[in-house]
Formats: sequence, structure tokens, C-alpha cells
Amino acid sequence: MSDRALRIAVAALALAGAGIAGYLTYAKYADTTIACATGGCETVQSSEYAEVLGLPVPVLGLAGYLAILATALFAGEHARLAGAALALGGLVFSVYLVVVQIVAIGAFCQWCLASDLVMLLLAAATVARLRVRQPAPG
Amino acid sequence: MHAAGSPQRVCGRRPTRRPAAVAQNEVVAKRKKPARVPVAPRAKTTARSTPVLTRRRVLLVVLIAAAVAVGLVGASLLSARGDGDGDGGDPAAIAGGPDVELLLDGVPQEGTAIGEDDAPVTLVEYADLQCPFCADWALQTFPELVRDYVRDGRLRIEFRGLAFIGPESEDALRAALAAGEQGKLWNVVDLVYTNQGAENSGWVTEDFLRAVGEAVPSLDVDRMLEARDAAEVTASIEEAALAAEADGVTGTPSFLLGETGGELGPLEISSLEPEEFRAAIDRLLQE
Repeated sequence: MSDRALRIAVAALALAGAGIAGYLTYAKYADTTIACATGGCETVQSSEYAEVLGLPVPVLGLAGYLAILATALFAGEHARLAGAALALGGLVFSVYLVVVQIVAIGAFCQWCLASDLVMLLLAAATVARLRVRQPAPG
Repeated sequence: MHAAGSPQRVCGRRPTRRPAAVAQNEVVAKRKKPARVPVAPRAKTTARSTPVLTRRRVLLVVLIAAAVAVGLVGASLLSARGDGDGDGGDPAAIAGGPDVELLLDGVPQEGTAIGEDDAPVTLVEYADLQCPFCADWALQTFPELVRDYVRDGRLRIEFRGLAFIGPESEDALRAALAAGEQGKLWNVVDLVYTNQGAENSGWVTEDFLRAVGEAVPSLDVDRMLEARDAAEVTASIEEAALAAEADGVTGTPSFLLGETGGELGPLEISSLEPEEFRAAIDRLLQE
């Protein structure tokens, strides 16, 4: 895959992730109930793991996805390194959040799981970007 | 995507770069992707490309990713362990609710005792809710004793709570004793042990106690929280402390065992494993 195709994929995934995180952020601040098929969304969103140092996890997710989206807008080496680092870091945090849902909370939130899946795909795409041969500048 | 992927994999090593201009045109025509197999960019790619995955780049990415991950996970654990937002307890954060309910559901409890009044054998436990060994016993041995002896009416267990580790011991103990008024002391005790924090680390908060209470079905949590300062609760703590002194208790958990209604003697144990307790109880039951 070319870097261009991967950039498009990263941008699309980051937008999807930002959409999910944005919806959860909206639901948090608008105090509306989250549409939830798994039944555990409210439990997860109101658990003590739903905030990190006072920041709601969806807000963190939104910021992360937007940052990764930004890296997809540039072709340079730094953008690719930053994208992969952010997505991998985000992936580890996502895995941690899944473990928290299983072990500590005992309830699942489908939106969170969807976001985790998006982060997994993003990690794959951003790492793939690192492996693509780039024409040397000049 | 395909056209873009294949040249990269081939890496331009095919000796068809220049001589096969005609042949290449044919291929292009067949694939109907005329502009996608350019010769020049491919040559450029092979000739002067930036190194793909140097050790330095991998290291850099891994380091930043690890920093991001450690920061987020660490901060999350920290804020989860701290006080809640004061928006009340959160039963979801309390582990073991369903297990404890399954274990104790239908077993008679009255005050600090669990089991039938006329069970032939009585076991007394002196415990501090902050003591880690007490938690070990509560999690590995107590459930077996309940399933195999208490449920079929052969054993009753009495809880004597001490508060020698620190003020948080008493905070937790008062909640447990207050739940005893509703016949739920052992549920609270078990949940506190399941979710025990480090000694005197600030883990016994109002939110924690409320959350523990809410994890016990059919417990009136507000009533429990209110009853914590009742005279009966204070009296119970004082009684247990006096009894511990009289029984020469020097550490927790300590146990007394004997026939119900008779004189109980200290149970000498070398470990907190269920086997020792089984053996001692079986001996008494056979007498």
C-alpha cells in the first residue's frame, strides 16, 4: 500500500474514532443516556475509571483521534513517527480499558469497544505507514 | 491500491525496466490502469529511499508510545484509586458482589454471627478489616467453611472486629457492625476484604463504604451508614476489644473454637489454609 492510501485509511479511521469519542463526550456533557445495546454503557461511563485526573476518557479519546488525524495530513517522517507512537500508546490504553471493563467494572460499553477496535486498526495502519518506502526528499 | 502495492514488493529488481517498454504497455492495457505503472517513480524509489525501519525509528516510536501508555494508564489508576467525585458510591467499582451474594444467600445471619444458633460447633474470628492475612482467610478459607459446614447447620462463625491497625479499621468495622443490624455483616466484611486497600492508605472512604453497601442486595445502605455511630456499634467494638484482651489475642486473624455454648479454646494453626480448620472442626464434630 502506498503512503497516500495509508494516510487516507488513517484519516478515515481517526475520523470514525473521533466520531465515537465525540458522541460519548456529548452524551457526558449533555447528560443524555447513551444508546446502548450491551446495557453496560452507563455503568462504564459512570465508573471511577471513566475519568483520568478529572478528564473524561471520551475527551482524551477525542483529543487522541484528532491528533492522529493531524498526523495523517502530513507525509513527512515526523508525522508518521508521531502517528504510530500516538496510535500504539492509544492502543495500550485501550487494552487497559478493556481489561478494566472486564475485571474492575464487570460491564461493557459497546461504544468503548468500538473505539478500541478503531484504535487497533489505527495502530496497524500507522505502523504500516512506517514501513512504506518513501521517496527521499529532493 | 494493487498497482501501488506491487511495485513496492518487487522493488524494481525485475530486469524489465527499460527493455520491456512494449511489453509493459501491453500489461498496462490489460489491467486498464495506464498511469499507474510508471517507470520513473519506481526507479526513484529503489535508488534513493529513506531507510524504512531503522532501529532508531522503532525505538523512538516505542518510547513515545510507552510514555503515552504509561502516562494514561498510571493516571487512570491513580484517579480511580482516589476519592470519587462525591457523587455517591459506585457499586460497579466494588468487585465480588455477585460471588459474595452467591456464597451467603440463604445462610442465616444475626448480628455478628453467621450460621444456625444450634450449630454444634462455634468458631470465633478476631479480625481487623485492614489486615491482609484476614483478607486471605476470608477469601480462601471462609467460603469453604460456609459451603461445607455453615450451610448444613454444623458450624456457626462469630466475627469479633478489632481496630488496632488504624482509624480506617474502625471506619470499616463500624459499617460492618451497622450492617449486622440488618443481618448483613458478613456480606459487608467479605466485600471489604475482597476490595481491601493498603493499610491506612485512605481507602476506606465514605464513597467506598457506600459502594460496598450498594453491592449487597437488600441492604438498606442509608440505614447502615446512619447506624455506624449507634451506641450498639460502639459497645460491640469495646466488647470485642475486651474479649480479645481476655483471650490473649496478639495478632489477627486469631481464632477460638469449641462446642457452641461451651468454653471455646484458642485454635492453634500453622497456616490459614482450609485444611487446618476442617481437621479441627471435624474432630469436634466427631466427639
